[in-house]
Amino acid sequence: MQTTQTATPVLEVAHLEKVYGALGNVTRALNDVSFTVNRGEFVGIMGASGSGKSTLLNCVSTIDSATSGTIRINGQDVTRMKQAKLSQFRREELGFIFQDSNLLDTLTARENIALPLTIARTNSAEISTRVQDVAARLSISQVLDKYPYQMSGGQQQRVAAARALVTDPTMIMADEPTGALDSKSARLLLESLEALNRRLRATVLMVTHDSFAASYTSRVLFIRDGKIFTELRRGDTDRREFFDRIMEVVAMMGGEGSDAL
Amino acid sequence: MLCKLAWGNVRRAGRDYLVYLLTLTLGVTVFYAFNTISMQVDIAGIKEEGLSELMGGMLGYLTYFLAGVMAFLMVYANNFIMKRRKKEFGLYQVLGMGRGRVATIMAFETVIVSVGAFVAGIMLGVGLSQLMTFFTASLFKTQIADFHFFFSMHAFNLTLACMLVMFVLTLLLNLRAVRRTKLIELMGAERRNESIKTRNPWIAIAIFAVGVVLVGVAYYRLLRDGFPLTATDSKLQEAMSQFGITTAMVTVGTFALFWGLSGMLIKLLQSLRSVYWRGLNMFTVRQLSAKVNTVCFSMGVIAMILFLAITSVTCGMSIANVMNENLERYTPADMSQTYIYYASDRLDYYKEYVNPSEADRMVLADATVDLYSAWHGDPWHGDRKGKSADNNDETGKKVNIADVAGEHVQIDSYLSYPLGGSDPSVTPSEMCKAMGEKLPKAFGGSNADTMGLFVTPASQYNKLRQMMGEEPVHIGHDQYLLTCDMGGELVDLYTKYMAGGHALTFGGHTLKPATDKSDEDAAAIANSAMGSNPGTVVVADELLSQLNLQPYSSSLLVNYKQGMDTTEADESIKYTVLDNLLVDGKEPGSWGTFITRSEMYVQAAQMNGLISYLAIYIGFVLVVACAAILSIQQLSNVADGSRSYRVLAQIGCDDRQIRHSVMAQQAVFFLFPLAVGLAHSFVALKVIIELVSIFGNMSIGGTVGLTCAIFLAAYGGYFLVTYLMSTGMVQAAIATRYSD
Repeated sequence: MQTTQTATPVLEVAHLEKVYGALGNVTRALNDVSFTVNRGEFVGIMGASGSGKSTLLNCVSTIDSATSGTIRINGQDVTRMKQAKLSQFRREELGFIFQDSNLLDTLTARENIALPLTIARTNSAEISTRVQDVAARLSISQVLDKYPYQMSGGQQQRVAAARALVTDPTMIMADEPTGALDSKSARLLLESLEALNRRLRATVLMVTHDSFAASYTSRVLFIRDGKIFTELRRGDTDRREFFDRIMEVVAMMGGEGSDAL
Repeated sequence: MLCKLAWGNVRRAGRDYLVYLLTLTLGVTVFYAFNTISMQVDIAGIKEEGLSELMGGMLGYLTYFLAGVMAFLMVYANNFIMKRRKKEFGLYQVLGMGRGRVATIMAFETVIVSVGAFVAGIMLGVGLSQLMTFFTASLFKTQIADFHFFFSMHAFNLTLACMLVMFVLTLLLNLRAVRRTKLIELMGAERRNESIKTRNPWIAIAIFAVGVVLVGVAYYRLLRDGFPLTATDSKLQEAMSQFGITTAMVTVGTFALFWGLSGMLIKLLQSLRSVYWRGLNMFTVRQLSAKVNTVCFSMGVIAMILFLAITSVTCGMSIANVMNENLERYTPADMSQTYIYYASDRLDYYKEYVNPSEADRMVLADATVDLYSAWHGDPWHGDRKGKSADNNDETGKKVNIADVAGEHVQIDSYLSYPLGGSDPSVTPSEMCKAMGEKLPKAFGGSNADTMGLFVTPASQYNKLRQMMGEEPVHIGHDQYLLTCDMGGELVDLYTKYMAGGHALTFGGHTLKPATDKSDEDAAAIANSAMGSNPGTVVVADELLSQLNLQPYSSSLLVNYKQGMDTTEADESIKYTVLDNLLVDGKEPGSWGTFITRSEMYVQAAQMNGLISYLAIYIGFVLVVACAAILSIQQLSNVADGSRSYRVLAQIGCDDRQIRHSVMAQQAVFFLFPLAVGLAHSFVALKVIIELVSIFGNMSIGGTVGLTCAIFLAAYGGYFLVTYLMSTGMVQAAIATRYSD
C-alpha cells in the first residue's frame, strides 16, 4: 500500500446483497459483501465464473440494482438514486471499460472517445482538446479517424479506455478488459492502466479472472460464492512476486481456481 | 418434438415474429376485404347493371396487383426474420441436427405464423368488409336497405389460395437460404464490429447535387412541356420521347438524392461543429448514414411509390369531384340530343372509308336543321328499339317528342368561318396574342384552338337562359358575348378578354363585348359529364345570317312537360333510335349523343364512386405497404443496434436522449421519402390540373383532403407504432444485464 495516499474512501460497499429469481428458485449472487476503495487505488476483483464478481461490478457501476445494502461513491448512496440521476452520476463520476471494447461501430475513434463529453454537452472546442490529450496519453493519436473495424483489438481496447478517461471520472470500472486480447495487447493495456493510476491518481476497479492482469493492481479482492473470500495487498513487492502470491490464493480457493486462470 | 421446438421458437422470438405476423395479417385482411367488393356492392344496393361487371373486370387486375404487393411485403418480412434467426439455425447444425430437420423446424415455424396470421387476417377482413359496405354505399350515394352480416366464400378461397402460394414461395426461399449458407456464416451472422460501408463524402455530395439538379431540371421540363397528351399527332412521338427523358431524369435524380443523402448530411452537420459535437447528434447522424447507405435504394423506391399513390389518388378523386360539383351546370335540361354536321375536311374521309355505300347521300351542310320538328312528325320517327334483350322489339312504336316535351330550345353552333371556308376567325391563340398573354397549356394543339370558337345566335342563347330561369341578355348588332362551361383557365381567359374591351372581327364586322364577364351559368349546350362548350361567341341573329357561317352542330335541349314523371318520360324515349335525317334526299350530318339528366346523375355518382373507390384502395394499399417496409427496416435497425444503445446507457446517456436519437433517425427514414414523394406529386399535380382544366374547373380539396389525411394518418400511425416498438426494444436492450 502506498503510504503517500491519504485514506479517503471513494467507494464504500456495506452489506451488499443481490438475489435473483423468486419463490424457491433463488440465486444469492452476492451475500453480505463489504469493502472500501480509497482514492488513487488500483483494485482487482478476482473470482471464478459464477462467483458474483460481475454482479458486484454491475451493482457498483449502477447498471444493476442491489437487493439490500448500501454503495457509496464519493459519499453519495447510489442505491437510493432515481433513474435520471443515475445517468447523470454514471456520466460524471464513472468510466467504463468492457471485455469487448463496446465501441460504437458507426463512429470513428475520435467520436467514440468524445461521446461521453457530447452527452454531457461540453463545448466543442474543449471536446477537441480533451480527446487529443487522452489519445496522446494512450498512444492512439494515429487511429483517431479510423472506425473500430479498422483497428486492432488492442487499439480498440485503448480507445475504450480513452473513452472511460476523457471525462476525468472519480472511478474507472474495468470488466475483464484484457479478456479478448492477446498477451502483448493485454500487457500494453494493463501498463496503461497502471500508469494512469500511478501518474494521474485515477482510481481503478478491475474485475478479472486472470492472475496476470490482477498482478498489476495494488490490491486484490477474491470472491467466492458471493462472499469476499480474502484480500491481498501488493505493498512494496514487485509485480512478479505479487503474481506468485495471487497464484497461491487461486490455488487455495480450490478446484474452481484452476479454471479461473 | 420438432413441432414443440418450433412453437417454442415462435414464442421466444415473438418480437421478431410480431412484425412478420402483423404484415401478413394486414395483407390477408386487405386482400380478403378487397375481394368482397362485389358482395358489398350488392348489399349497398347498387343495382345498375354493368357496374358490377365493370368493377369485376377492374378488380380482377387489381387483385393480381395486390397479390404482387403482398408477395413483395411477405418476402421482405420473411428475409427480416431469416436474418435474425440465422445464428440459431446455425447452432442447431453445430449441435448435429441435420439440415433436413432444421428445415422442418423452419417449415413448422412458418406454418404456425402463417396459420395465425391467416386466421387473424380473415377475422379482421370479415369485420373490415362489413364496415366497408357503409363506405361503399356512401361513395356510390346509395342507401343500405337491408344490411346483414356476410361472408364471402369466393374471397376466402382466393385469399387462401394466394396465401398457400406465398407460403410455398417463402418456404422455398428459406430452404434455399439454409441449404446455401455456409455454417460459418450462419454462426457469424451476428459478428462484432460490423464493417461500415463508407463513401467518400465529397463524392456523395456530388451525387446528391447531381440528384438535386436532375430533379430540378425534370420539374422545370415538366412544368414547361406538360404531359405529352395535348400534343398534336405529328409531334406526339417527339413529345413522348421528351417526356420519357423527363421521367428518367426524375427517377435517376431521386435515387441519386438518396444515395448521396447520408454523405451530404454528415458533411453538413460536421461543418456545424457546435451542433455535431453536441448530445447524441453525432451518433444519430453516423447511425443514419450507416443505414442510409444500405437502404438508399428502398428509400428511393418508396419515394416513387408514394409519389404515384398521392398523385393518382388526388388526381382520380379530383376528376370525380369536378364531375360531381359541376353536374348541375353540365345538365341544363331533362334531356338533350345533339346532331353533328359533316365537316368539310372530314367529308371525303367519311365517304371513302366510313360509309362508302351511303357516300352519295352525304353533303356539306349549308344550313342548320330543326331537330324538334325532325323528331316530332313525319317523315321523322323513332323506332322503339331495346338495348337489352327483352326489349328488342323490332315492331316498336313511334315516339313523338311532343308527348313529353315541355319547354325546349335548339342551340346551333357554327364554326367561325363562312361556308366552305377553313380558317377560323376566332381562336384562343389569337385572343391571347391580342392580350399579349401566353396560351394556357390546356389548349396547346387542342381542337379548341384549331377549330376556333363556335358561334351561336343570340335568340337561341336567350331562350336557353329563359329556360334556365335567367334574365335574357341584350346583344346588339355590333356586340358579342363569350360563353363557356368548362371553368378554370378558359373562363378566365374569356372574361379577361371581354373585360379588357377587346374586339372580335367577323367578315369585316368589328364587335365589342356586350358585358365584361364570360357567362358560365347558361353556357352548357348539351347534357354531358365534363362540359360541352369550350367557348362560344354569341352574336345578334341578323349578323349571324349575314355572315353565312358553316354549321358545326345543333343540340336540342328539352325539359319534360310540367308535372310529368321524369322516370316515365325517360323510359318512353330512352330507347329511341332516330332515322337518318334527310334534307332534299341528302344527309348533312349524323345524330350525336342522347343523354337524360337523370342518366347523367346516376352515371356521375357511379363514376365518382368507382374512381374514388379504386383510388382510395390502391393508394391505401401502396401507402400501407411502404409504411410496413419502412417499419420492418427500422425495427431491424434498432434490433441490430441494441448493443449500441446499451453502451450509450452505460456511459451515462439518459433515456430521453436515446429516445430522441431513435426518433430523429426514424423521422428521417419516414419523412424524407414522404417529402420527396410529395414534392414530385406537387409538381405533377400542378401540370395535371392545368391539363384537366380544359374539361372543367378542377380543384383539390374536400374529399381529397380527407383521403390524404387518412393516408397520412395511416403512414403516421406506422411511424408512431414503429417508434414505440423501437423504444420498447431499446429499453429491453438497456435493461438486459450482461451476464457473468
